[in-house]
Amino acid sequence: MDEDTMWGNIFHKETKGEQSIYSVLSKIPIFKDLNKKELKAIERILHRRNYKTNEVIFHEGDPGVGMYIIENGKVNITLGKEQKLLAALSNGEFFGEMALLSETPRTATATAAADTRMLGFFQSDLFGLLETNPRRGNKILHRLAQMIVDRLRFSNLENQQLKLKIVELEEKISTKKVS
Amino acid sequence: MDLTVGRFLRFLVGIFFIVVIGWLLYSLRQIITILIIATLIAYILDPVASYLESKGISRILATTIIFVSIFLILIVGGWLLIPGLFNELFALQNRLAVSGTDDFVTAIETFIKNKITFIDVETLNLKEKIDSIMAGFSDELLAILGNAFSIISVIVIIPFIVFFLLKDGRNMKKLFISYIPNRYFEMTLNVLHKIDQQLGGYLRGQFTEASVVGALSVIALWLLDVPYFTLIGVFAGLANMIPYVGPVAGAVPAIVVTLVNGGDFTRIIYIVTAFAIVQLIDNIVLQPMVLSKSVNLHPLIIVLAILIGGSFFGLLGMLLAVPAAGIIKVTSSELYNGIKKFRII
Repeated sequence: MDEDTMWGNIFHKETKGEQSIYSVLSKIPIFKDLNKKELKAIERILHRRNYKTNEVIFHEGDPGVGMYIIENGKVNITLGKEQKLLAALSNGEFFGEMALLSETPRTATATAAADTRMLGFFQSDLFGLLETNPRRGNKILHRLAQMIVDRLRFSNLENQQLKLKIVELEEKISTKKVS
Repeated sequence: MDLTVGRFLRFLVGIFFIVVIGWLLYSLRQIITILIIATLIAYILDPVASYLESKGISRILATTIIFVSIFLILIVGGWLLIPGLFNELFALQNRLAVSGTDDFVTAIETFIKNKITFIDVETLNLKEKIDSIMAGFSDELLAILGNAFSIISVIVIIPFIVFFLLKDGRNMKKLFISYIPNRYFEMTLNVLHKIDQQLGGYLRGQFTEASVVGALSVIALWLLDVPYFTLIGVFAGLANMIPYVGPVAGAVPAIVVTLVNGGDFTRIIYIVTAFAIVQLIDNIVLQPMVLSKSVNLHPLIIVLAILIGGSFFGLLGMLLAVPAAGIIKVTSSELYNGIKKFRII
């Protein structure tokens, strides 16, 4: 399946099977700059949540409050009433990280596709961290910014290719019309 | 039919629970008051602890440092202020009970006799009325300090609760959030965050403003040699939380006390000027810094809140009515916004 730029995890793939929380966290891009001790401190901030199969995590249009990391389980990201599948995420993958920076409405719905254990990291946690431990908070913020830059570059590239394709198609159409 | 009976039963059970909770709250109101005060103090001190933490100090050490500092400040401040405050309170009560206001009242009575001849001075009975008002006022102040919650709870229990709330408050909040069902989880998180953002600034602002205005008033009144300067200064600081009326209410006791003690017109001018300067400092320097007006309560709401607070908890209730109204306003409006945005209902 072609993954959506926003929702598909373009940074990190193929991590299946059971893992310790520490190894899960150390692979999340925004926590990459943190050492073991700092990760332990982050682990204490994170919220543990359990979702049953088919339980909705958030709805499209809800205000964004933060990101989720799948510790164990499966989550489907879908769009609209017809529930068009944008991405199927599993162990060690994450979603909703844009909400750490901006409280804009969620652009898709997240539903647990199996019984799922997740870790939540939210805007209020990030703000609290920036207040009590600015060094740690800044490391995360910096990584988050990098991630968004990467994603923007990826989107731009995709955009350019699509534009080229449109131009090609338009040329084809016009040549067909002429002939 | 079954449906209606079921609904009626559920309604009855609901009413029963509300009554039980109301009764519990009422019978535990002293403990609840202590809890609320401790929570407020911990909440106001929280940014200080976070600041120390950001300098690389552990939370428990930060909390301890804050406690030791406050303890030292209280000892030094208490040495200077508390005996004076209590002496002033007792003196105020005794003097007024015996003969305090005589000269002042006689002066007013003579004034009325000479200038406003159509009023019968004897039937006014000014002295008795003023005496009873002033005695009632100092009674209430004593009650706040003494009876409302005993001295032991102030000295031992409140600091005890504050210490643990300050040290473990964040974990307690996290634990509370972990019990919220998934459906309401994100909304709760969002609403709590919003309330914290708005109330934090507001309450800390109110507290800073009240302390600085109080301290400045005490110093000003001490320099002007006004009797009961600590008492009146502390009152002025607390009254300052009430918009429009507060600053005036702070100056009135100082003027009355000066008049009662035979002060002349120039001294009143000095006092009014001193309070005006304090207000100027508050308006120009403090208020832009503390953002304390960010909650935007309508003046009518404030008056209503003060009346309600007064009728339930006396003078203390009146003084705490404004921040309480602020808390209720922010909490309810953010809760409403959250429910609407997350389409819970």
